[in-house]
Amino acid sequence: MPSISYLLARLLQIIPTFLLVMVFIFLLVRMLPGDPAIAMAEAKATDAQVEQIRHNLGLDRPLPVQFVIFVKNTVTGDLGRSIMLKAPVTEVILDRLPTTIFLALYSVVLAVFLAGPLAFLAAVRVNSATDVVIRSVFQIGLSMPVFYIGLVLLTVLAAQLRWFPVGGYGTGFLDNLHHLILPALSVALYTSAIILRNLRASLIEVLDADYVQFARSKGLSTRIIMTRHVLRNALVSTVTLLGLSIGNLMSGTLVTETVFAIPGVGRLMLEAIFARDYPLIQGLTLTFAVLVSVVFLLTDIVQSLLDPRLRKA
Amino acid sequence: MKRLLPFLLGAALGLSAATSALAIERGGAMSFARYDDSAVIDPVWADRNPDLWMITSLYETLLRNGADGSIEPGLAESYEVSGDGKSISLKLRDGLKFSDGSAITGDDVVFSLDRARNPDGPWAGLLGSVEKVTAEGGKITLSLKQPDPTIPSILATFNTGIVSKVAFEKAAGANDQEKAKAYFDNNPVTSGPFTMKSRVAGSSMSFARNPNYWRQGKDGKSLPYLDEVDFVVIPDDATRILKLQAGEVDVAEFIPFARVGELRGDANLKMELFPSTRIIYAPINTRDTRKDGSKNPLADIKVRQALNYATDKNMLIKLVTFDTGKPMTSLMSAATQLHYGPEPLYPYNPEKAKQLLAEAGIDGGLDITFTTLAGSADDATLFTALQQMWAPLGVNLKVEQVDNPTRGAKNRSGEFDIHTYGWANDVNDPAQVTGWLGYYKQRQAVGTGWNNAEFNTLFEASNSEVDQAKRKDEYKRMQEIYAENAPLLFLYETPFAVAVSKSIEDYVQTPLGANDFSAAWRAK
Repeated sequence: MPSISYLLARLLQIIPTFLLVMVFIFLLVRMLPGDPAIAMAEAKATDAQVEQIRHNLGLDRPLPVQFVIFVKNTVTGDLGRSIMLKAPVTEVILDRLPTTIFLALYSVVLAVFLAGPLAFLAAVRVNSATDVVIRSVFQIGLSMPVFYIGLVLLTVLAAQLRWFPVGGYGTGFLDNLHHLILPALSVALYTSAIILRNLRASLIEVLDADYVQFARSKGLSTRIIMTRHVLRNALVSTVTLLGLSIGNLMSGTLVTETVFAIPGVGRLMLEAIFARDYPLIQGLTLTFAVLVSVVFLLTDIVQSLLDPRLRKA
Repeated sequence: MKRLLPFLLGAALGLSAATSALAIERGGAMSFARYDDSAVIDPVWADRNPDLWMITSLYETLLRNGADGSIEPGLAESYEVSGDGKSISLKLRDGLKFSDGSAITGDDVVFSLDRARNPDGPWAGLLGSVEKVTAEGGKITLSLKQPDPTIPSILATFNTGIVSKVAFEKAAGANDQEKAKAYFDNNPVTSGPFTMKSRVAGSSMSFARNPNYWRQGKDGKSLPYLDEVDFVVIPDDATRILKLQAGEVDVAEFIPFARVGELRGDANLKMELFPSTRIIYAPINTRDTRKDGSKNPLADIKVRQALNYATDKNMLIKLVTFDTGKPMTSLMSAATQLHYGPEPLYPYNPEKAKQLLAEAGIDGGLDITFTTLAGSADDATLFTALQQMWAPLGVNLKVEQVDNPTRGAKNRSGEFDIHTYGWANDVNDPAQVTGWLGYYKQRQAVGTGWNNAEFNTLFEASNSEVDQAKRKDEYKRMQEIYAENAPLLFLYETPFAVAVSKSIEDYVQTPLGANDFSAAWRAK
């Protein structure tokens, strides 16, 4: 088990990350071309109305003052009110977040179940026909943009064959699983391609390592060799990759949730950007930062479980 | 069974004869795929189209827009403008009820109109001339600061929808805006054809029939015919169409023009192109000098006219709208009240364009920057087509791609030559679009800097002109002046493209964009 001090140190490292993220978000929104007040006021507004919006947003105050207010509000959980949805940002995000997390976990589980066994098969039979077929199929998955995979799946499996609903989220756990299978699959196809490539390579490397050869010569059973020696060592880099791809997956939800009409934070981000809903954009960016940090933290913990040498780092 | 068959057959025939006589069938639900979700459907605070275009389904106005755009009675059975134009009185119908069964009274009307005048609300300006609203029983009086011929139209506009005073005041919230949100979120009491049944933010929404709605259908019973309208939010165009083709929804709105032709060929669908007040145009900077201090050739009316003549609108309509658009015939769309435009403006005539440029003394070529929206395929097509159309005139058209807020900022500061823009009316009165496009004091005539004394005077006069015939003449003259002066590149009008299942009848999207389900019905 990783020690308490390791966990604590890892948690403390997150604080400067968040501070940097906050500075970044704050400046980014204000550095965008065009005046946010003009963007929000729509063309029809008079100059006086634009000025009013600027005042309401506090944009007429000095930058450092705006930053202090921003940090103070954020720390107290007050992310402001969404201009587009006319509701508190925190409330809106908490309402949509579970959907996105559900979709992300669903995709990861599907990806692992797809890639894991196939990577094994490919690694054990390196350069055989099976290996070549598995690699080629997944190479295609890797080369196609997620939204395109999504549209193909929707057109064939939902609109033509009518096996699955065209988009939406559904109500209740089983209905959610049913509704989200195509979006989860289209994301999983991409993620599993990455995992497969990496896992296959590490498995081949580990299978060839001296200690595995030694274990074999000791007469250990294949099952024990695989679980205790091969998998554990091959998984270290795959877990890192999985962690990283969850980060990517979060940004991928922008597209997936739009194509599949899923009411999650990804689509919300896209809508907020189009509506120039600055409080919401800030809140969502922060949420994504928190989520990715948590995933990275979990990745580190899992890695340190797999490889005790990392606990000292 | 054999003996039953003739009976069933007879019954079925009898039934179909009965329905064809009535033509309309009651009941059932209609499902509707939307491009975006509603956040707050409130007459006063709504400011996005997905909210605005649903308001009249929930909140009835005192007056209504008729199918031909004329003003018809609504909750008020009649209205009268006083001789001096400074007061309007309306009479509420007897026995009106909200969805919860409580009576719609003069108090509710005063409350709703006072809310609509809240200066913080985005639409308060529409009632700017109103000094006071009072009610005596069912008689409502609006006292005006000055005569305002637009008021009847405004009383038929979403922002004056009637809400229940008692129910609204019970809603939680520190101010009117927060109350509006809370009211909407908790199945509000409504006066329109529908009530809110349920809603999942970002995903779906259901309207149920308001049993107390006042208007009657063709069968002599109260509207609406449908029991329910169920909405699903599907932002992606391709997915929305797939959902319709898979039979999971009955209607899909905002069909991209590129796919209209394909859906016309679908035997299960009707491809509707509802006339709209939407126009696509390009403001031209008419100031004598550009922002950088250089002389602005576009300040010359002849150069602006030349560019208009050198623009083949029909070609642009084909390229961008896949032949669904129409050329502009006036500054406002043909579906706007008091529109005057007997024929398309500046029909394609490259010879005349050349001649006008020569008269303007332009012989050494002309450098013009065309500002477009980055990422917009339509704008990119427009630019490349214009570049080719204008090149023979010696116009060197350069492109500058910006994002939407930057385009807005440039429009406000006058830092552009020509840029793309679009507009749709919110109100069934020409004053809104005319003020926006032509009146200098409002927004420098859509940022063009065009300042025409005669036009400005006519616009001011028309805003307090009580004589309808005179007002019509003023509008005719304004549209003539505007067309001749060409502060815009006049492009085209576009319709609302909605694909509807053949089993749904009489769904309408109005020229202002509002979704009207009140007389829609489902054939079983």
